[in-house]
Amino acid sequence: MDPVKYRNLFLEEATEHLAEMSRALLELEKDPRDTAAIDLVFRMVHSLKGMSASLGYEAVSDLSHRLEDRLGIWRAHGGIDDTAGLPLLFRGLESLERMVAVVRESGEAPPPDPALLAAIDAARGSTRDGDGKPVPKKAEARAR
Amino acid sequence: MSSRVLVADDARFMRQLIREIIEPEGFEVVGEAADGRAVVEEFSRLQPDVITMDIVMPKRSGIDAAKEILALDPGARIVMVSALGQEALVMEALQAGAADYVVKPFKPDAVIATLRKLVEKEV
Repeated sequence: MDPVKYRNLFLEEATEHLAEMSRALLELEKDPRDTAAIDLVFRMVHSLKGMSASLGYEAVSDLSHRLEDRLGIWRAHGGIDDTAGLPLLFRGLESLERMVAVVRESGEAPPPDPALLAAIDAARGSTRDGDGKPVPKKAEARAR
Repeated sequence: MSSRVLVADDARFMRQLIREIIEPEGFEVVGEAADGRAVVEEFSRLQPDVITMDIVMPKRSGIDAAKEILALDPGARIVMVSALGQEALVMEALQAGAADYVVKPFKPDAVIATLRKLVEKEV
């Protein structure tokens, strides 16, 4: 694999994905139950996860993976059903944008933002459905 | 004669990577599809020997596209392309008739071995 060629491909495609994600988050701001927008954000972070993992950008891959997991739960629920959800996604987007900018400048991915990862993990840890029951693992895994 | 492969993934990065992994090993990428609807159309048009099918794609998921292709041709050979955390979806695809799977990030040797195993089955 030619690392420069694939880094350029990553930067080009990641920039497109983050722009699409940004537009989808604005739609979700209007309607947190917009499942098409959730699907789109899910696909964008999933794609970022795969590309960044292929290039060894572990921090980008890790953050994308955590966001993907969280989005998978919202997909299964039919929308973003907690008030912290959307701000978390906007923080995730900003962090991914910063990381991609650093990759563009230096060729290396920066370390992740520990506070953001902790916030996502806290949200994942409190995964409960409307009745306060834990969301079954299968529902999360099947979310697509 | 080289085996003909259709590559389905919504990321250009991934389509290009698969192409670069398999073409030097004697596989011919005869087509690419960027969504789950296009891959069904391209399958009908190109009749490839093998399809590599990403699971998460727009318009129709890779699982649904695989099921549709297998309904059209139960002998179609489909390799699901999965990622960490998609084990349940891979199982669903295999139960639906997908032949095998590979995991991202790719280990080139594993991708080639998986495709070889499938095309050798037809001989």
